[in-house]
Amino acid sequence: MEKIIVCIKGVPKPGTVKVDPETHTLKRESMELILNPNDRPALEMAIRLKEKYRAEITIISMGPPNIIPLLKQAYALGIDQMILLSDRAFAGADTLATSYVLARAIEKLSPFSIVLMGLKSIDGETAQVPSETAGLLGLPSLINIKELKKEDDKWIAIRENEYGEEEIEVESSLLASVSPQAFDYLRPPSLKRLIEVKEKEPLIWTASDIQAEPEKLGLKGSPTQVVDVFEKKLEMKGTILEGEPQELVEKFIEVLKEKEIIKI
Amino acid sequence: MIEKIKLEDLKKENILAFGEIYQGKLHPSSLEILTPLKEIAEKLDKSLILVCLADSLESIHDLESLKKSLADEVWFIFHSKLRDFKDDLYARVFIEIIKSTNPYGVFFPATLIGVSIAPRIAGVLNLGLCAHVNALEIENNQIIMARPTYGENIIAKLTSKTIPVMATISIGAFSPKTSEKTPVFKEVIFPENFSWESALKVRSFRSSKKKPSRLSTAKVVVAGGRGLKNKENFQKLFELAEILKAEVGATRPVCYEGWVEEERMIGVSGVTVKPKVYIGFGISGALQHTAGMENSEFIIGINTDKEAPLIKMANLAFITDAPKFLDLIIKRLKNLLKS
Repeated sequence: MEKIIVCIKGVPKPGTVKVDPETHTLKRESMELILNPNDRPALEMAIRLKEKYRAEITIISMGPPNIIPLLKQAYALGIDQMILLSDRAFAGADTLATSYVLARAIEKLSPFSIVLMGLKSIDGETAQVPSETAGLLGLPSLINIKELKKEDDKWIAIRENEYGEEEIEVESSLLASVSPQAFDYLRPPSLKRLIEVKEKEPLIWTASDIQAEPEKLGLKGSPTQVVDVFEKKLEMKGTILEGEPQELVEKFIEVLKEKEIIKI
Repeated sequence: MIEKIKLEDLKKENILAFGEIYQGKLHPSSLEILTPLKEIAEKLDKSLILVCLADSLESIHDLESLKKSLADEVWFIFHSKLRDFKDDLYARVFIEIIKSTNPYGVFFPATLIGVSIAPRIAGVLNLGLCAHVNALEIENNQIIMARPTYGENIIAKLTSKTIPVMATISIGAFSPKTSEKTPVFKEVIFPENFSWESALKVRSFRSSKKKPSRLSTAKVVVAGGRGLKNKENFQKLFELAEILKAEVGATRPVCYEGWVEEERMIGVSGVTVKPKVYIGFGISGALQHTAGMENSEFIIGINTDKEAPLIKMANLAFITDAPKFLDLIIKRLKNLLKS
């Protein structure tokens, strides 16, 4: 049986992120967590592969225990095993330290045939973790794939880039990130599974469970460092016009003429 | 005209930039990133090298733009196996160059190919990597990189503890510049025992059918944000854009809402625009977005909130209901054009 691993992430719901004006740190209490929307296509791809090739899907996620409900949401889509990578030592990780924890967990889960991730999270938006994890594992990687299937023992992927689409053949197991536009339809969770998952709890792996080297974890294991955060102060600089839309339209049209955007 | 040089004889401790060549075409962002890197290199008294991987010199269409680029040297690595982009092989070639020449900094444009290999290299070599940087400076002989971060108007300054310092640089964040001084072209000869094999085999390529949006070079941009309230209202921007011969841009949240495709996203993780006139409908102006349009020549903002950052930045602001205003503008323009 094929084993598929999907890495997912809990992210703040857009609009709920507030920054403390004094300390410039995130106000975590006001933050509402959701499953990274870009991880949904990765989960969908995994489930379609499972249906086709009789695979088993394990999801892993690094984060504090408050992301367990998100793992359960993903489980209800059709996942077989949930693993939460949680340890105080993981806190403050940059993409390298995050990738290191994921790579250690993936190694512990080997052998596997494929690792899938979303293209990027909607909070950090670095898109670095997939290739960085693959680099640490020495696995072939493909970024932004739209399709994946098997031909004999090979994986055949369609990768999309700025220029077009490539069909790529990979002979071994691989790590891929899935394009946010890969699918027109993403299945909802099934009712049966939503009931079933109430009784389920994810496995929790700490740093020692994945035999991680302490100096490679969290803030300490992160080579990139924030040296300063500052607020960009804005002063009112232009002309402000207020009123009913109807009255303002004429002024707007005048400006378009002045700027020679329209010639009437 | 092109000197051949062994990998081990290359100049050491430079600033390297990735010259992305895909099917013979140089990606314009590779020239853009040389603009800030040239300044950095001069301040640090280092050479700026553009590193290009391709199957042969003959296959490259844009040699002229390379000749006029800001790089001090252009290093080419030619091999038939480099004809297609393969993440693992490209990364290994770069790693070999890094190991042999001990660079001080290695930088990539934040294209899909850039974000495919830069993190792979960082993972293999255990190096720090900053993402989508849009400003670079030197402080105490150290490279400091900046990028907007969470929240409305917060900028984070970053450093990397590891050498080489590595980062991907936002597309469109800098304008390409040309130099009178032609860079020295060198073809790098790799050791005999270097393996050009890859786990990936590109079977076929189909070029994109949809025309790439001309957003980054548009003279007029009409952009919309959540204040337009729904997809239907947002779509009306295309009507306005047609009348004004403009391109449509969007904020991050509305792209994620699915109102419009992501390639229309303006901002740190999207496109940077510098139009003559930028018109923002219902956009509050999170830094994520404004970092991608703040250099527009004339900014018009339309929003109900007088305190919104975009309204403060605007040369001209209309405090009014954006969807209603958009509707009225289109109707009025259509009437005017008919008569």
